[in-house]
Amino acid sequence: MADLWQEAMDHAVAVARKAGEIVRDALHNDMKVLCKSSSVDLVTKTDQKVEQLIIDSVKEKFPKHGFIGEESVAAGEPCVLSDNPTWIVDPVDGTTNFVHGYPFVAVCIGFAVNKTLEFGVVYSCIEDKMYMARRGKGAFCNGEPLHVSDQKEINQSIIATEFGSNRDPEVVDRIFSNMRKILCLPLHGMRGAGSAAINMCLVASGCVEAYYEIGIHCWDIAAAAVIVEEAGGVLMDFEGGPMDLMSRRIIAANNKTIAEKIVKEIKAYPAVRDDAPLQTKQ
Amino acid sequence: MDPWQECMDFGVEVTKEAGKMIREALQKEISVREKSSPVDLVTETDQKVEELIISSIREKFPTHSFIGEESVAAGAPSALTDGPTWIIDPIDGTTNFVHRFPFVSVSIGFTVNRQIEFGIVFSCLEDKMYTARRGRGAFCNGTPITVSGQQDITKSLILTEMGFKKDPEHFRTVMANMESVLSIPVHGIRAPGSAAVNMCLVACGAADAYYHIGIHCWDMAGGAAILTEAGGVVMDITGGPFDLMSRRLIAASSRGIAESIAKKIQPFCCGRDDTEN
Repeated sequence: MADLWQEAMDHAVAVARKAGEIVRDALHNDMKVLCKSSSVDLVTKTDQKVEQLIIDSVKEKFPKHGFIGEESVAAGEPCVLSDNPTWIVDPVDGTTNFVHGYPFVAVCIGFAVNKTLEFGVVYSCIEDKMYMARRGKGAFCNGEPLHVSDQKEINQSIIATEFGSNRDPEVVDRIFSNMRKILCLPLHGMRGAGSAAINMCLVASGCVEAYYEIGIHCWDIAAAAVIVEEAGGVLMDFEGGPMDLMSRRIIAANNKTIAEKIVKEIKAYPAVRDDAPLQTKQ
Repeated sequence: MDPWQECMDFGVEVTKEAGKMIREALQKEISVREKSSPVDLVTETDQKVEELIISSIREKFPTHSFIGEESVAAGAPSALTDGPTWIIDPIDGTTNFVHRFPFVSVSIGFTVNRQIEFGIVFSCLEDKMYTARRGRGAFCNGTPITVSGQQDITKSLILTEMGFKKDPEHFRTVMANMESVLSIPVHGIRAPGSAAVNMCLVACGAADAYYHIGIHCWDMAGGAAILTEAGGVVMDITGGPFDLMSRRLIAASSRGIAESIAKKIQPFCCGRDDTEN
């Protein structure tokens, strides 16, 4: 039986590759950098150009599909997931890295139908690594199958997390408090690629055992969520329940044992949901 | 005629062989031991690679001296003399190696009269060979590299490392320093996991500074040459001159950035590489 969404996925891969070329070219030119919610929450023309490219090309081929895109939402579009086939797009995940030429920058395309994620494409374009996964069909990087690490001991793990772009002293304190607790388990180490999607692909690849963060958005994690699960990993909320795509927080781990150890140590702090009504957002 | 060019060319060839050995080891299971603590790891590959490097160089340059991480761990002296000396880290980023996290490097710094004459850092999973000869610029796979030139700390991307420390006071200071730097504010902090690669990331402009207390001379020697030749600065964390044996440094794209960081971080004592512990 033909896969209803294979054509959409093939299109996602092709357009992600094209978008990645645009990102790589832009690295060589002078970059004008703007700030969004704070002086460390960055956006560039490339973010906007790439999102437009993706949305236009998808609209042409699949005119009835819906979109949630980072820059469209920033410009006032709603961020609510309906049952309609929906493309969830982060044109440049790791904009800070992009601005600096630091090697982890990803084009992310997730696809949901009836609110279930069907496939995910993450193109780490400076490394030229195309990560992808179709629900039920495994996860791959440049055609090679991916599998999470089989480590069950948190003391022998590497955990990835980020400092994010919120410099509110209370938030920074909570971030550091969580980090200290986790580091003192102890672990083998803590890392951060600077891109949520790439951190999750590192979990899927077995290079790190888990990734946790508060403050990310649905477009950062939708694509990579499929990749982690199809590589044998688990997704969890900070309270231990299932991941909530709109909750602004995530734990992605190689197995439940590691994920639950992290849940035990870390405390969440409030973040406005992605699907909250517009007036409650900043 | 450059008296040390032959050494450098030979060093690059040996480093390529070492990188091959590391990549081959990644195809198999890796057996890990702990050194000074549960987060200070070593493998057979660290030891095999160091042996390969030292024996190859010794054969060609029998009067030269060596300071190698695994040799020192086995009791060899680590004081720097005036003679030509190869300062070697066979695998910088052993934790990354064990986990197959992408930043693993072979690092070689070569000193004469205690001055670094050339540096070689091979980030072998990325296949990036960084080299620099004093006075002749820095290169990555043959292409010249330069630092970002960033002067404004509030627009900078900073690298450092964090990990469990046996001494709770040291751990507190490491975390407090990080919080202090983050809150300047800077654009971000990243922790790639290999000191030598960190210095090369600053050298090629992908980051603006790297600071660390607790590393060793073999982590810093190769990268220091590459960063300085790329137009960057290395200094002590107090803002004074860089001291290869001090177990600490700030490596930055500009003096301004380095000094901004020096203002924000507190030192703690972790001994020196050239004294008995």
